[in-house]
Amino acid sequence: MELVIKGKSKRRWRMTVLFTVMATILAVAAYTFLIVKHDPALVNLEERLWPASMEHPLGTDHLGRDVLTRLLLGAQLTVGYGLLSLFAAVIIGVPFGMIAGFKGGLIDRIFMRIADAFLAFPDTIVAIVLSGLLGPGIENLLLAIVLVKWVNYARLVRSTVITERQKEYVTVAKINGLSSFGIMRKHLFPHLIGNVLVLSSLDLGKIILLISSLSYIGLGAQPPAPEWGAMLNDARPYFQSNMLLMIYPGLAIVFVVLLTNMLGDYLRDAFDVKKEVGS
Amino acid sequence: MSILSVRQLHIMGKQNDIVKNLSLDVQEGEWFALVGQSGSGKSMTAMAICQLLAPNLQAKGEIWCGEKNLLTLSSSEIRKFRGKRLAYIFQDYQGSFTPFLTIGQHFDEYQRTHLNLSKKARRQQAVNALISVGLNEDIYGRYPFQLSGGQLQRVSISMALLLEPDILIADEPTTALDSVSSFKVLQLLSKLQKETGCAILFITHDLRHVRKYADRIAVMKDGAIIETGDKNRVLNHPQHAYTNELIQSSPSLRRIPFKLEGVSG
Amino acid sequence: MFRILVRRFIEVAIFVLVITFISFLFVRLAPGDPVLSILQVDDVSVTNEQVNELREELGFNDPLFVQYGNWFADFIRLDFGHSYLTNQPVMEMIMSGLPATLELAVGALLVMLGIAIPLGSLAALYRGSWIDQFSRAVSLLGAAIPSFWLGLLLIDLFAVRWGALPTMGRDGFRSLILPSVTLGLAITSVYVRLLRSSLIDSLSHDFIRATRSRGISEMRIFFAHAFRYSLPPVITVFGVSLGSLIGGVVVIEVIFAYPGIGKMVVDSIRSRDYPVIQGYLLVMAIIVFMVNSAVDLSYRYLNPELRLKERKHGKWS
Repeated sequence: MELVIKGKSKRRWRMTVLFTVMATILAVAAYTFLIVKHDPALVNLEERLWPASMEHPLGTDHLGRDVLTRLLLGAQLTVGYGLLSLFAAVIIGVPFGMIAGFKGGLIDRIFMRIADAFLAFPDTIVAIVLSGLLGPGIENLLLAIVLVKWVNYARLVRSTVITERQKEYVTVAKINGLSSFGIMRKHLFPHLIGNVLVLSSLDLGKIILLISSLSYIGLGAQPPAPEWGAMLNDARPYFQSNMLLMIYPGLAIVFVVLLTNMLGDYLRDAFDVKKEVGS
Repeated sequence: MSILSVRQLHIMGKQNDIVKNLSLDVQEGEWFALVGQSGSGKSMTAMAICQLLAPNLQAKGEIWCGEKNLLTLSSSEIRKFRGKRLAYIFQDYQGSFTPFLTIGQHFDEYQRTHLNLSKKARRQQAVNALISVGLNEDIYGRYPFQLSGGQLQRVSISMALLLEPDILIADEPTTALDSVSSFKVLQLLSKLQKETGCAILFITHDLRHVRKYADRIAVMKDGAIIETGDKNRVLNHPQHAYTNELIQSSPSLRRIPFKLEGVSG
Repeated sequence: MFRILVRRFIEVAIFVLVITFISFLFVRLAPGDPVLSILQVDDVSVTNEQVNELREELGFNDPLFVQYGNWFADFIRLDFGHSYLTNQPVMEMIMSGLPATLELAVGALLVMLGIAIPLGSLAALYRGSWIDQFSRAVSLLGAAIPSFWLGLLLIDLFAVRWGALPTMGRDGFRSLILPSVTLGLAITSVYVRLLRSSLIDSLSHDFIRATRSRGISEMRIFFAHAFRYSLPPVITVFGVSLGSLIGGVVVIEVIFAYPGIGKMVVDSIRSRDYPVIQGYLLVMAIIVFMVNSAVDLSYRYLNPELRLKERKHGKWS
């Protein structure tokens, strides 16, 4: 299976750097518990709101917990949850899209109606409503995200299937005697994978932002989980005295989302995907 | 008297030379045919004249029109030449018009750029122009997608000659048309040329057009001109092997010339 | 064209029926007892009798379909019921909150246009230059910054530290500035890149060169030809991203305590105030319909081919 990647050496170099940085972050997030010295949940009111020091490179928060530790663990949560919900959305959306695209006819039309119904409601609203009604908690938030996002992947897959099927090379390949599956493997899958990858990397950023926004409002990750949005909520009252507490988690979010967006941009260039995929 | 004089034109892309050391002269009122196959650089040469090349291409050399070297003019200076002393018609007739503007709006914009007429006068002038190329007045209110290729080319011609330019640069205007429309358009061009006395720089790959209408010919190959001269001389006594090849590969030129009957319709 | 609007309206009507039923079900089936919620407002201890009485009165003991039927009958008459909390008619609540939300949305859009149009245009005209790189950086960064974080920082900077602009509530034009700017910045990124790529594409079309060959000025070529030709994809994206704009408005309203319907619905979710939630969902569906119709109409205006050929789907491909 050939993935058609337009490679110029400068681009490849940038991608490598990007990948390395992201891999490092993921690795750090995954293995934080090995590096961590401080208990992120242990409340120690004696040590609250300390400035940066050797012991606490980023200081402590309003409950005396080490900020750096919480920040790193937050990566696990924020990024991990993001990936989880994204993965679920893709797993659900892709098969739907494939069936709708291949079967066509009535099944396709029903599917489109269902998709439209899901699409009518803005994702933020649905997430707020769902988690607001089911009760606060990260599981409900993730459920809401999956419910809202799967449609995009289904539609993307469906339209890719339909577009590719109509192209001439399919007819040519059939004339040449290639089996249906063979055609799919050689021509369809690269396009599918490319499109889904691009959409995923761009979506990941949005999902992370959504998780942190709702956690800020209190509808997502619950204390004492060190999710970045929740940390911002905690830091709010102390803005005057300890502005940094509000800066760190925000910067962390910006940093990660920036990376995923850049990755998405490069993937899009590399696979030469049309612009509509990202919106 | 040379109306347009190209001297040692070089056109360079990022990796290669497209046109090398090209020189030609177009005399006042003459029909000058620039002939060559696809990729010979003939369209590029035409584009370079009014600085219409794509931004990734570079042109060097001299292109004299009157006393000015067109290649050295600033953008506001060259605008005085474009559409006024030099006019273009292109091969892609749909691509010569902005899809969401009517023919009338195209005229209007053009007239307002170069002339100072009242709205009524502009419309009248435009309608007259349309009629002079054999089109109906109601073409004025139509959109480009509503017209056929032949009609659009006529509109292009009527606009190009509206301000009586010194030279009309026609870049394969009939290549994309069917043979009937093609014939009519060429006939029209010839007639209008005689009426207005403008020169025509006619780009083509088809020697049949050349035989019938041109005064002088230049043959282009791989970015350079290999032969120039009076039409009859070049077609009957070609000096270069390539020219001969071109002539040989054009069937109707090999036979005893016969009169092309006008097709009615 | 009238026919098309009617057809769309019918589609939407069916759609609204389905949506309202789903949201009705959804809201009813969620955990949390609204009756208890209402009574607790009074902070008075209640007897079981009172609870049952209220339950009966509000029709919660009737079968679901009956409840829906009643609700729908009211809905048709534009009677969205009353808030469980304040007993205010929902319609009234929505009407009083809507202007604030619309102000915010329009303000944000103006900010977005004010940044995206110049930046996107310059990036397209001067491809590869520093301004192109700059617009790319702005776009990437803008998409990564959480709007609520930006809002909080701006609030704390402007009000708490500098005391320059109001940060809460709705009190004249000045209080609109910070929320609009925050939301506007949040949505700008997509449009900058989109406009840029759409313009680059438009400028490469043959008709641009043809227009130039007629001696038309570059300014005119840019605005009257290229820019206008670039609009459809941008408008398409706007229609599609309407959802996230609505979501963004809600977040901003909550953060800045701006009294629009976004804040209204978040409050009503916390207190399980069903009628308000439902009223909000419906109003949103209607607004989305209206905006999408406007988008379709704009395609027909921008593209005479659609207008004259009476094609059903106003898509620009």
